[in-house]
Amino acid sequence: MVLAAPVEGTDDPAATRRRRKSRESGAEVGKAGPLVYIMLALGAALSVFPLYFMFVVATRTNDTIGSLPPVLTPGGQLGDNVQRLLDNEDAHFLRGLLNSVLVSASVTIAVVLFSTLAGFAFAKLRFRGRNALLLVIVATMAIPVQLGLIPLYILMVELGWVGELKAVIVPFLVSGFGVFMMRQYAASAVSDELIEAAKVDGCSTLRIYWNVVLPAVRPAAAVLGLFTFMQTWNDFLWPYSVLNQDQPTVQLSLATLSSGYYSDFSQIFAGTALATLPLLMVFLLFGRQIIGGIMEGALKA
Amino acid sequence: MSTDVTTPVPATGPPGPPPAGNRQSRKEHWSALRSRADSKISPYLYIAPFFLLFAIFGLYPLVYTAWVSLHDWELAGAEHPWSGLDNYRQLVTDEVFWNSLWNTFGIFVLSTVPQLTLALLIASLLNRRLRGRTFFRLSVILPMATSVAAVSIVFSQLFSRDFGLINWTLGGFGISPIEWQASKWSSWSAISLMVNWRWTGYNALIFLAAMQAIPRDLYEAAALDGAGPWKQFTRVTVPLLRPTILFTVIIATIGGFQLFTEPLLFNSGSSNYQGGSLRQSQTVSMYVWENAFVKFDFGYASAVAWVLFLIILLFASLNALAVRRLGGKD
Amino acid sequence: MIRALRRPHRRPRRGAATLGLGLAAVLVAATACGGEDDAAAGGEGGQVNLTVSVFGNFGYEQLYREYEASHPGVKITERGTGSDLSNYTPALTKNLATGSGAGDVVALEEGIMIQFKEKAQNFVDLGQYGGNEDKANFLPWKFEGGQSADGQKLIGLGTDVGSMGMCYRRDLFQKAGLPTERDAVAKLWPDWDAYTTVGKQFVGKNTGAKWFDAASNTYNTILVQEAGKSPGYTYFDKENNLAVESNPAVKQAYDRMIGMIGDGLSAGYKSFSDQWNAGFKQGTFATIACPAWMLGYIQGQAGEANKGKWDVTKAPGDGGNWGGSWLGVPSQSKHPKEAAELVRFLTSPKSQVAAFKSVNALPSSPVALDDPATKAFKNPYFNDAPVGEIFGTGAKELQPVYFGPRNQAVRDAVESTLLAVQQGKLKPEEAWSRAVRDAEQAAR
Repeated sequence: MVLAAPVEGTDDPAATRRRRKSRESGAEVGKAGPLVYIMLALGAALSVFPLYFMFVVATRTNDTIGSLPPVLTPGGQLGDNVQRLLDNEDAHFLRGLLNSVLVSASVTIAVVLFSTLAGFAFAKLRFRGRNALLLVIVATMAIPVQLGLIPLYILMVELGWVGELKAVIVPFLVSGFGVFMMRQYAASAVSDELIEAAKVDGCSTLRIYWNVVLPAVRPAAAVLGLFTFMQTWNDFLWPYSVLNQDQPTVQLSLATLSSGYYSDFSQIFAGTALATLPLLMVFLLFGRQIIGGIMEGALKA
Repeated sequence: MSTDVTTPVPATGPPGPPPAGNRQSRKEHWSALRSRADSKISPYLYIAPFFLLFAIFGLYPLVYTAWVSLHDWELAGAEHPWSGLDNYRQLVTDEVFWNSLWNTFGIFVLSTVPQLTLALLIASLLNRRLRGRTFFRLSVILPMATSVAAVSIVFSQLFSRDFGLINWTLGGFGISPIEWQASKWSSWSAISLMVNWRWTGYNALIFLAAMQAIPRDLYEAAALDGAGPWKQFTRVTVPLLRPTILFTVIIATIGGFQLFTEPLLFNSGSSNYQGGSLRQSQTVSMYVWENAFVKFDFGYASAVAWVLFLIILLFASLNALAVRRLGGKD
Repeated sequence: MIRALRRPHRRPRRGAATLGLGLAAVLVAATACGGEDDAAAGGEGGQVNLTVSVFGNFGYEQLYREYEASHPGVKITERGTGSDLSNYTPALTKNLATGSGAGDVVALEEGIMIQFKEKAQNFVDLGQYGGNEDKANFLPWKFEGGQSADGQKLIGLGTDVGSMGMCYRRDLFQKAGLPTERDAVAKLWPDWDAYTTVGKQFVGKNTGAKWFDAASNTYNTILVQEAGKSPGYTYFDKENNLAVESNPAVKQAYDRMIGMIGDGLSAGYKSFSDQWNAGFKQGTFATIACPAWMLGYIQGQAGEANKGKWDVTKAPGDGGNWGGSWLGVPSQSKHPKEAAELVRFLTSPKSQVAAFKSVNALPSSPVALDDPATKAFKNPYFNDAPVGEIFGTGAKELQPVYFGPRNQAVRDAVESTLLAVQQGKLKPEEAWSRAVRDAEQAAR
């Protein structure tokens, strides 16, 4: 709801034209009737509502939670709530934000790079043990997270990384999910003919990766990047285990705010809203890239 | 991305090795050698970073846990005597474990099936000539941007017995307040709703990306054969989406069976790791947590976690098989 | 780190994998500046950095500054302020299990302490640093509570105790035609029978509120009182055998609670849940059995708008304790001597009085309890109730109760069945057998 205007506003005319053009050659089925709009609007409303509710609480006093009928319009307390949030010395909120940006960006870049590379190898290159290795990667995703907590922590102790940001970065530079996703996508989206043609031209696999595969998988890579960024941004259990309160990620700051002893809901929600805001911004950025990427990819392939 | 007419997409068929053949064409000898070396070695280099980092940060914890599961290992205890398969034997007769597995399975079904169905529907709605498409696309994936913690805080409010919006609305229809945490069906549904809310849009986007890769002429051909929109959807879209559906099902299985934070926070308050007064919504992951950090029985927790790991593997392969079979009919 | 940086250079220039590794190394390098500085390492060149790990709020800020001023070269950092126990306990356990990451001084809440008494090897013996000299400073049971299971080591010195009072809503009492002044209110409930009778009266007046918040808290208060009279333990006897069935105090308290639920007295919340929290503000229950440390919690939840509506008085029956903590020094600390000295300072009677005035943490030291400053202290939020007086009396009369190392798991299991009865998911007559079964399962 809040986002509607900026999203539409950011569409630059050139991109729109490109999209229009691609629409003609694209695979969209039929024109949307009123029913489609109603259903989509409903879906959009349901998606946005809880976020909107968060915003409402963030702009009101602490009494909002638990009043009946529920309060559904924003109030004027946002500044006050944010002020209390920033004054809260225990939370280290700004430092948490900064740390989260750093951590999430590092992890995202690495995951996208390694996943597209490996995904390409699994989808389009033939090598001994390919299927078995892919299976191993899928299997790695099945490892319950809570399980690794203690051994991974012991490892961090041995490396001397406890309390340092690299402890929440390095173990996550690769992702089985990412590799699997890029493999699935590359398998269907990268044309074998193009790869063969490039090979005939004497291109090395690295060049093929760079010139053929990367452009073709960009939409999925953007989705993966977005996904990774958000997951890293929102991760709690591991940062909580390995970092300290004075060097937190933003979720740790939030936890400090929201944990049991004094629940100041409007402060918590103000924090949550502020912590979600950068994500929403990244989200808009990447959102355009996903959509734009799909269309541009279609033109370039 | 090749929706270009001249480069048809080989999206059909089970994912397998690309068609072999015409590779040994006429090429210069040296370049053939180099290219052979390239194609022999570089795949391994491309997957090396993953396996390298995984070995350190993934495999080691796994092996370590397996080792721990064979001991009577109390967290922060002084000694860890060897106990062989005792922990696994205990697990077989542990009602609480089976209950948690049943809950996990129930929540998994309640979240995966509606989620993927809805995602397919939304994707097909989005895959039309549409005004405000950016807006719609972004709004359905917006929930992803929130952290589990935020989702849980908000939904706990919505599902509150006395002051929740949902009970208040139901009250308008004369339905008396439901205590959502109290029964299996209600707690499962509420938790599934959180999961669905967060991930439906994401899956819709994945489906959409795949739908856009389907060449338009396939639909035109189908239309010429007299297939209506529904037939086109079931005959063209769904079969071509099979690899993507497979992908999302496997991801949902893996995520669903590890569900932890949502049910934990949904059952807010003391002893929330129990997942309700009679463990109505305790998942296996929560049971692992309970054993490790409430009872400090790290050995048993490790055994449960390992069994969970094997169950996920089993289910993921079963699902993969089922989806393949499903698509194979067409 | 250095290893990671070198790796790419050693590799032949093969492909993007190398490039990726290089990038990863750069990323690592870029973030290396973030973490460890002297705060974590500490200790070189005369400067001693001590980290204190707490949950919630112990009210020590002022005391740290005081200590630093009188001990040049010592710098104190507090960690975990505001975190809740359900996060704090696993983190602390993990830190102890792996031998790293715990503070130099750690707070040990009652429930954790019971478990760690058996794992004394994780802690420094404070006795080696003069801790035993402080014995007279503490209530005897509190001091003994800080000793290891075999009684050989002193692993913690007491901070506060959780002796019980009863918090109540004046406005709801007035609405129901009950007295509102705390002495008169205390006379309403000399024992739990009377408490139940008044409760039925109250509920009969249809104020829209229930008599008390949750079965679990009230039940536990009754149980600890009963157990204090005899046999001196709750779910585990002193040989750590499960005693849920054999201990009459458990069954007695359980049946009493089942009766109260049947009378419709309980609001049916789960303690510390969001809804319970909201209940303080909404006034959905009229009374709650409250230890001293909970006053701050109630104030936080009920908010400024409800100031003066809440009041606190003596609880029914005699004695009872819920919570309260100790401070210990993990053996992994690099500065055990300095840390132990800080523990002794923070748990001294003088410091306890300061913490009490700051966050209502009721002293575990009789000296501090008798301190005029404690006795005279009134809590303005609770209608100027003399909380030092109300809680202090109970604290000194308290009969110590033994808890087994698996107490928490069993307690959770038993209390959960009470919640299930309130939810209508368990028939009252079937609840006890279920409680016994679940307790056995939890004790395994």
